[in-house]
Amino acid sequence: PALFSCDPLEKKPSLCILVDSREISSGAEVISSLKAVHGVKVQVCSLSSSDYIVSNCMAVERTFLSDLVNYVNRNKVTQRIQCLQNMFKRICVIVEKDRIKTGEMSRFFQRTQYYDSMLSALVQAGVQILFSSCQEETAGLLKDLALVEQGKNAAIRVPTEVEGHRQEMLNFYLTIPNLSYLAALNMCHHFGSVKKMANSSPCDIAAAAQVSPQKAEEIYRYFHYPFDRQMLPDHLCPKGKSNAAKD
Amino acid sequence: MTTKANSTVSVGSIAVPYGHVIGNEKWRGSEIAQRLQGKIRLIFEDGLGLVDFHLSNRTCILYISEADLVAGDEFKRRLVRFRNASRLSGIVIVEKTQISDQYFSAVQKFVVLELGMVLLPVGNQGEASQLITQLVREQSKDHSSNPFLRKQCSQLAEPSLFRTVQQIPGVGKTKALLLLQQFGSLHRLCNASVKELELVVGQTVAQQIYTFLCS
Repeated sequence: PALFSCDPLEKKPSLCILVDSREISSGAEVISSLKAVHGVKVQVCSLSSSDYIVSNCMAVERTFLSDLVNYVNRNKVTQRIQCLQNMFKRICVIVEKDRIKTGEMSRFFQRTQYYDSMLSALVQAGVQILFSSCQEETAGLLKDLALVEQGKNAAIRVPTEVEGHRQEMLNFYLTIPNLSYLAALNMCHHFGSVKKMANSSPCDIAAAAQVSPQKAEEIYRYFHYPFDRQMLPDHLCPKGKSNAAKD
Repeated sequence: MTTKANSTVSVGSIAVPYGHVIGNEKWRGSEIAQRLQGKIRLIFEDGLGLVDFHLSNRTCILYISEADLVAGDEFKRRLVRFRNASRLSGIVIVEKTQISDQYFSAVQKFVVLELGMVLLPVGNQGEASQLITQLVREQSKDHSSNPFLRKQCSQLAEPSLFRTVQQIPGVGKTKALLLLQQFGSLHRLCNASVKELELVVGQTVAQQIYTFLCS
């Protein structure tokens, strides 16, 4: 149905979406559909925290309906979303219908109280929720999200492939607590060296990494944080050197 | 917490007593109303305008039935009118049935991506009542019981710093610890001269670190 007339955003430069490498096995059709049907530039990388990054500000978690319906998977889902909340301004959960084996009945799913309470908690926390019936539809939603983000001037603009020294710098920045892959990537491209980054003001960091002033402040504090040997847990220490008290 | 009254605009907020839901008169006697009985206190009021249920003075529900979806675009005009006139956050509950399924993805795109509202599908009014019950409970609960609103306790920076320094080529656990102890912070380490680095790790690695940090 022609509910949606032409979208003014459709003509802007090509979209880029980062995909976690684990999605290659669990979301192969999402990836191929993004590329083939929607013409999106897809960069597969090891995101670990989220399934997809569609802009400087938004991470997308793709979850199966069954994971939200069954209480059993509570921790897995919640922890991943909590982790994203520390890194991204905006989070979207795409709830995808589980794939049905041929011949199986698909009409009903048993709505649980847990499912409704999860939806309520997500809504209350301002997490966006989208529903998808299959991987192809998920790809379409990801593209739509990336377009909306592009309209908010948050599109991914830096080159997503890095190598050599840049790759080493990226790995270095990625160890900063609660820093998104994209913020690290932005820093990699905007600061000529790690030293320049370390000597930057929170304001410079916010502009370069495309993060909020609060997040930039957090990064700044991390670089100025006075290291205390006593606070390093024993199991991390180089072997045979420590008998400091545990905490 | 949810009982503060606000001045009213045409589709504005109304005072909703704690644990209550205020329903549009038109829902009296409906399946949703019946099923909500005994779970939450439902009060009916006239003149709620576009809103079907008020969950709090900030949140309300607009219900789109299967019939609304089949009937055409009238529901879209209603949502747009609400969106333009109201500051309340609107949750759109939409009946996603076998018949209305074909419209769902377009409706979702419209409601969530264009209007920026929340959309939650239900199969029927019975499911809607279950969902509304949970939404009301969530509203009246303490924030700390919501896993996505809980303030995370800050973690120690030391393990991260230790990990960060080990990303410098040529630096393992032992050297990382020595460097951190010697320079005290990443900022100072990044500003160390080759000479200062040599005092901690020896010439070759000092040069390697310096090159990594400064180029």
